[in-house]
Amino acid sequence: MANKTLSRQQNFWLAPVAVTLVVALLSFFIEEYFAYVATSWLIFGLLGLSLSLMWGRAGLLSLGQTAFYGLGGYAGSIAAINFSHLTGNTLIWALPAGAAAGFVSAALIGGIIFYGRMGPLQATILTYVFTLLLWSVAVSFTTEIGTAVIGGDNGLANIPSLKLAFSKDAADLQVKEIFLVVLFISLAVYLALRYFVSSPFGIIIDCIRLDSVKTEFLGYDVRFRLLAFFSVSGSVAGIAGALFSLWANYLNPSVFSVQEALLVPVYVLVGGLGSLTGAFLGSFAVGGLSFWLGGGVAGGQTTLIIGICLIVTVLFFKKGLHGGAGVLLSYFKKKKESINRTAKVTDLAFGEKSLDFLTGHFLDVSPLTLATSAVTKTFGGVRPVNRVSESFLPGKVRCLIGPNGAGKSTFLRCLVGSHKIDSGKITLGEKNISRMESYARVQSGVGIKMQVSQVFSEKTVLENLWVAAYSKTGNMKAALSTAKGMLAALKMEQRRHVLAGNLSHGEKQWLDIGMVLCLRPAVILLDEPAAGMTDEEAKSLSSLMRFLAKQLTVIIVDHNMDFVRSLDADVIVLHQGEIFARGDMQQLAKNEKVLDIYLGRRKNVRNI
Amino acid sequence: MFAISNASGGYSESPVIRKVALTVEKNEVVAILGRNGTGKTTLMKYIMAMLPVSAGTVSLDGKTLPEKTAGRVKAGIGYVPQGRFVFPRMTVVENIAVAAVACKQNAKETIESLFSDFPLLSQRAKQLAGSLSGGQQQILAMARALATKPRLLLLDEPSEGIQPSIVDEIAEMLLSLNQRQNMTILLAEQNLDFSLDISSRAYIMDGGTIVQSATKQELMSDKKLLQRLLGV
Amino acid sequence: MSSVAILLIATLGLAVIFGLMGVINLAHGEFITFGAYAALLASGWGLPFPLAVGFATVSMALYGVLVERLIIRHLYNRIFDTLLATWGLSLVMYQAVVLTFGSVTPGIGMSPANLSVGDYSVSWYILFLILVAVFLILLTGLILTRTNYGMMARAAIQDSTMASAVGIESGRINTMTFALGSGLAGFAGAILLPAFPATPSMGFAFSIKAFLLVVVGGPVTLTGIVSSGGALGTIASVVANTWTTVLGDIVFLMATMLLLRIFPKGISENWRIKL
Repeated sequence: MANKTLSRQQNFWLAPVAVTLVVALLSFFIEEYFAYVATSWLIFGLLGLSLSLMWGRAGLLSLGQTAFYGLGGYAGSIAAINFSHLTGNTLIWALPAGAAAGFVSAALIGGIIFYGRMGPLQATILTYVFTLLLWSVAVSFTTEIGTAVIGGDNGLANIPSLKLAFSKDAADLQVKEIFLVVLFISLAVYLALRYFVSSPFGIIIDCIRLDSVKTEFLGYDVRFRLLAFFSVSGSVAGIAGALFSLWANYLNPSVFSVQEALLVPVYVLVGGLGSLTGAFLGSFAVGGLSFWLGGGVAGGQTTLIIGICLIVTVLFFKKGLHGGAGVLLSYFKKKKESINRTAKVTDLAFGEKSLDFLTGHFLDVSPLTLATSAVTKTFGGVRPVNRVSESFLPGKVRCLIGPNGAGKSTFLRCLVGSHKIDSGKITLGEKNISRMESYARVQSGVGIKMQVSQVFSEKTVLENLWVAAYSKTGNMKAALSTAKGMLAALKMEQRRHVLAGNLSHGEKQWLDIGMVLCLRPAVILLDEPAAGMTDEEAKSLSSLMRFLAKQLTVIIVDHNMDFVRSLDADVIVLHQGEIFARGDMQQLAKNEKVLDIYLGRRKNVRNI
Repeated sequence: MFAISNASGGYSESPVIRKVALTVEKNEVVAILGRNGTGKTTLMKYIMAMLPVSAGTVSLDGKTLPEKTAGRVKAGIGYVPQGRFVFPRMTVVENIAVAAVACKQNAKETIESLFSDFPLLSQRAKQLAGSLSGGQQQILAMARALATKPRLLLLDEPSEGIQPSIVDEIAEMLLSLNQRQNMTILLAEQNLDFSLDISSRAYIMDGGTIVQSATKQELMSDKKLLQRLLGV
Repeated sequence: MSSVAILLIATLGLAVIFGLMGVINLAHGEFITFGAYAALLASGWGLPFPLAVGFATVSMALYGVLVERLIIRHLYNRIFDTLLATWGLSLVMYQAVVLTFGSVTPGIGMSPANLSVGDYSVSWYILFLILVAVFLILLTGLILTRTNYGMMARAAIQDSTMASAVGIESGRINTMTFALGSGLAGFAGAILLPAFPATPSMGFAFSIKAFLLVVVGGPVTLTGIVSSGGALGTIASVVANTWTTVLGDIVFLMATMLLLRIFPKGISENWRIKL
């Protein structure tokens, strides 16, 4: 189970296919009208699926799914109206047109959101505005495209029905046949998406949701990937829209309405966020409920009851129906997890063997010099980094020390690009990286570990390492072997299937360091790596860093002076954003000025 | 007067502080010393009931303190956090007044008396707190904590990131608070000189627990201990 | 000018709740609707219009207390769940209005002649609304700066951890904030009644724009919505008067997108002012 993403579940398609076949069989025994209505639930399920993908996997609640759906519907019907007489079959026109319309419109909106680095609330609102905008346009927009007449508020009529046969006089499908066709299309889309999310691309999207900053620090272009993922989700919505138009034979601007836009997250939420199956569960539950209520039980109060159900779901079922069903399962899982947690932790230390592995691992990494010249960063009136010029090369570990607020962490962030510098220049080897995005700097050979360990909490230890290794190799197998090697070097083999979120503080630090090493960086930046480590671990880390520094550029920020001393490092003291002193620890310990600032010793101080 | 016993806690299930016990007597100034990352701030947050996970008890004058942060403040604990955290879009006066009214104090009187203690603040009464310098914000944060009329004042790294002259001033203020208004003070510090200036004894933290307790005299005479403590 | 005023009257309640609690109340529109019907109900009992408006405000504030205690309180820091729960609430409230009063589209109006403002025509009433908007914004500003509650509420949203560390009990403050916001929504529904007859969906039309104003306005809510409302409302009404209402709406939405593109965190993100 825990290893599912790496060894790929081979049989993930079995259960959905079985369910589909059962539903298909059942459909022969239901009333025609029910089959007709249930078809719409399937279509809404697909629409929900497109959101579930985006919201559950990538973490963006998009209220624009109905916009992509509506556009897909319009595009699909226009294509079907104009061209289906050529073939008879309507699907081959409507579906691709719908998917394309969804894809393109989502790409457009996604571009604004992701490349503008918008906040989550603003992104949600932007998608909502987009939907509203389309609605306002659609109600008054009239035009003719070929033989298709778009009549503003009057909508688009005369959309051909679903036809499968390739002949000019192909007959419309029966109601139940339409249900079956939509059912199998849903299955196909569902399976394709399941495959998609368990692909490396999908795993990386998961990682972006869990920690997008770390994902970027692993060298992945987060913005582009989110954009691509959003576009795929848009195309699924577009397919749903095209199916809807063929099912209803009529479209009007109400597909863009606010009610529709908000109903989609309801499906997803009721079904359970984060599970692809949940979208269908939700649409059947909500659709079924309103069908049952509307069919005489509650009459006009349908909306009322749905509203109440929604409030109750949000208040009491945090993970929706799908989550509720998984309660039992998770009970067993927890038991297993707690056993894992109590497993004895062997001391996490790099031994001879580990160093051998690293020697091989870094064999073809050539040394690079990281140099800054007059790098300056200003926030408001404060200047935490002020004209810092320094060259960092392999040979000895370089340490940055200084009082709190001296600008050490800010300086590291400038180096890796999470802060853009105001002036000055940063070069890596011959390359000017001053204006590069973080992921590009990482790809050029910079690896960073931030102060707080960043691991993907819902992924296993092995998966964490794999994601890092995959960034460098781009090959699943090679990444797996690197990850396994690193796992052994970290002496964490027994913990390979433990979720990273359940590791102890120190273990997370090691895992994070392991992930950075998986990137095979030529320059390693570490912010307080020894925090939370035992003395033994700190010693082991120190010898590891000295070993790596022979070949790589290693820059460490730390407060733990024992640790810094053990690194035998060239130390730079930063004070108020400037380089205050340089030297090794022996020299600095004799430097009165350094003692003054670092200890905060003052003129009137007592003699201690 | 104030006691913590068997305190453990942190941000997730793995605790940052473990089995901490300490006491502070009335009118005492006690320091918690230790390097970065040894759990001083977490201990302070523990006292203020700000940690998601915690176990153990905190008592003031023999009474166990309430579960909620606001309750503990009303029970008599004033808190000056690390990094100050004044309310940036409120004026200096409002920052103090809001603390006073939250604890059912008379805002006007509180402000008058604090302004006479901290003349620097009265000159900037109408300024937004966010526009003050770091040192000024630190003094405001202290005034704000005092506005809750605490019996015990907690200070988390009051000298951090503050220019030396103001650090001196802050030390003086704390001393006068202790000597003239009989304020009991517990402070977490990395800055040894500052702590020894004002405190009479100290607890030393390492790895999330208290490893030693020492008086000021012991600390001043035992250089080795100091070196180990600061690691320089 | 008057359309901006109407927009702001309708937005203020939502803005207060978002600005001081960080909660987006999707049922805001229905709160307005409820306010309008409450005022109708009261004037049906024979109360004069100003009293009816007062009744609507107070009863909606009490209703707000109820909603906060029963729903909102349990969803703090889960902004998207709050969004969905309040949307569920809006469905329930909408349906409740339809069931009680019917879904008559022309709505139950209140002719301005019944008002204490005498026999001024509707256009005069709309001008009067400008005064109301100014008054309301000033009043809200005063409540937030001059009262103990206002100070505590602002402290709580600026830094909730520190707020509790000076003894502020955020639960009580939040209840009061939600009540204030609901009361303002109720007031809006009632005071707009002579210009916008009550229908079950009347609030909805306001709530979308209100919602956008608040998000575009950003963290400094009050001045934020006045600026975003001023900018967006003016542009939209100029376009609507010159061409068509639909085009006005489209321009409104386009301008919203543009502003969000330029200020991803709202226009007031870096403003150094109190409200």
